[in-house]
Amino acid sequence: MLKYLAYAKKAFLGRSAYRFDHLMGILSTCLQFFIFYEIYRALYGSGDSVDGITMSMVTTNFVLSLGLGAMFSPDDYYLPRRIWDGSISTELLRPISFPGRMIAENVGASCFNLIFKFVPVLLIAIFTTGMEKPAGAVSMILFIVSALLGYGVLWTISFLVQMTSFWLINIWSLITIKDVLVNVCSGKMIPLWFMPVWMTGILRFTPFEAIYFTPVQIYLGQLTMPEMLTKCAVQIVWIVILYLIGSILWKQGQKKLIVQGG
Amino acid sequence: MSFIEVDSICKKYKVSKRKSGIPGMVANLFVPKYEDKEAVKDISFTIEQGEMVGFVGPNGAGKSTTIKMLSGILYPDTGSIHVDGMIPYKQRKQYVGRIGVVFGQKSQLQWDLPVIDSFELLKAIYSIPSDIYKKNLDRYTEMLDMDRFINQPVRQLSLGQRMRADIAAALLHSPKIVFFDEPTIGVDVVGKDKIRSFIRELNAEDQVTMLFTTHDMQDIEKTCNRLIIINQGSILYDGALDGIRQLHGSARQLDVFFVNDTSVAAIPDVEIIEADKRHSQLLFDGTKVPINDLMSRLLSTYNIKDINIAEPDIDSIIRKIYSREKVAC
Repeated sequence: MLKYLAYAKKAFLGRSAYRFDHLMGILSTCLQFFIFYEIYRALYGSGDSVDGITMSMVTTNFVLSLGLGAMFSPDDYYLPRRIWDGSISTELLRPISFPGRMIAENVGASCFNLIFKFVPVLLIAIFTTGMEKPAGAVSMILFIVSALLGYGVLWTISFLVQMTSFWLINIWSLITIKDVLVNVCSGKMIPLWFMPVWMTGILRFTPFEAIYFTPVQIYLGQLTMPEMLTKCAVQIVWIVILYLIGSILWKQGQKKLIVQGG
Repeated sequence: MSFIEVDSICKKYKVSKRKSGIPGMVANLFVPKYEDKEAVKDISFTIEQGEMVGFVGPNGAGKSTTIKMLSGILYPDTGSIHVDGMIPYKQRKQYVGRIGVVFGQKSQLQWDLPVIDSFELLKAIYSIPSDIYKKNLDRYTEMLDMDRFINQPVRQLSLGQRMRADIAAALLHSPKIVFFDEPTIGVDVVGKDKIRSFIRELNAEDQVTMLFTTHDMQDIEKTCNRLIIINQGSILYDGALDGIRQLHGSARQLDVFFVNDTSVAAIPDVEIIEADKRHSQLLFDGTKVPINDLMSRLLSTYNIKDINIAEPDIDSIIRKIYSREKVAC
């Protein structure tokens, strides 16, 4: 366990090295947020609610999903980069689990982002726009739990995609497709309330709404207690399924591994 | 059962075959063509504990691939490897904690951090007990003369210094087996000497088993007593270093220096290895070609300044073996 902690710490400290990049990260998240915010404000006009969804709920959706998105950003190129330049060979010489190390480094980076990205973005949003308060103490606690589980889903999707690089080497296009799917289908760009019914029907069978939309719904108190627990259970099921498939690919991939460059 | 057992391993790579330029690219886009390249074909050998084995062969012979399979990074397509009762590629996590690997061409240190910080990270990763870590660190710092640069970032080290730091890094956890993949590449003579004597000492004192690939035959002569020669994925020779000299025991190498620019005409049963303007190197079998005859022939035909007869050096023997198919072992 200590070994993984050492890697998490390394990633945490490494993040602080590039201050300009990190400031720009906050700026780009805020920019995205205000663009969405203004578009929806114009769409709402003077109306109070659309299909029972108020402007402040939409605002909350964007603050939370963009904020969580800035905080939990799996490094999609972690494995592909190492396979591409051949440094995977020296990494495999360490007596630790490689997926474990991927998680550790990403958790370290996410902790950094929590303090230096999520919190600033949240504060800016709270003071400039009308964001809803959490529905209650229970909702708040379950929101935190399901936000962490949502991160688990996001990470395992990235893990699964990265594993294909054993066969494909360059997976830039695959990662781009994954990003589009995640951004559109998770409610990060268009809140899922406004999706057509047939679409939400399909999305229910994908892991995407488990990333941001579930925590947002819990935060707003839109779900009953049994519904909340079911949704969290669904998140766990997705994490297990995606991780298992990813691990199988990891095992098979090692047999296929080519070390590029001598 | 031997300490390291390699049983008829094979490894194939798919190599993309593509014609050059844009037409080649377009053709490859629609009908990709691959060719199987056999990097390692049917290699078997055993190594006992505490042995120090040199592993040589020309570029692309399959040395690095074999080392990578032995260190658990690559899976062999067929065949099996057992090291100290473990199967490297199947029990990778457990196994790599007991071995050390040095890749001369790839540093395993953290580029931006001082050497000592990389060592500290390794201490955590390998869970090295503090007393052993300190003992090893002090010992290697002294033996490899690392005092002067241990607090410098890796990116500011010279190649020789970086290599020494890399070697120390691979040995901090007191591995029982160490694989060196070209540890002296690009290092100057003094640096090479330091590395060689360090390796010798470690093998003698700690009984560490070592496998050593290199292109520098001096490395092998000064450290190893057993030699495995491999070319095009197969073993050509496996035996004592002296054995290879005895294989060519009756061979003699004759260096002739001429007064004027001269080229030697072909002589039956004598191989002309090198022919410069005023110097030729001949190789012949002493039992087939009597030295007397050859000498008198040369002296009577050419205007000679100096002559030197010697046993062929290890480099020229190896060169001969590389160019030939297989030697009887």
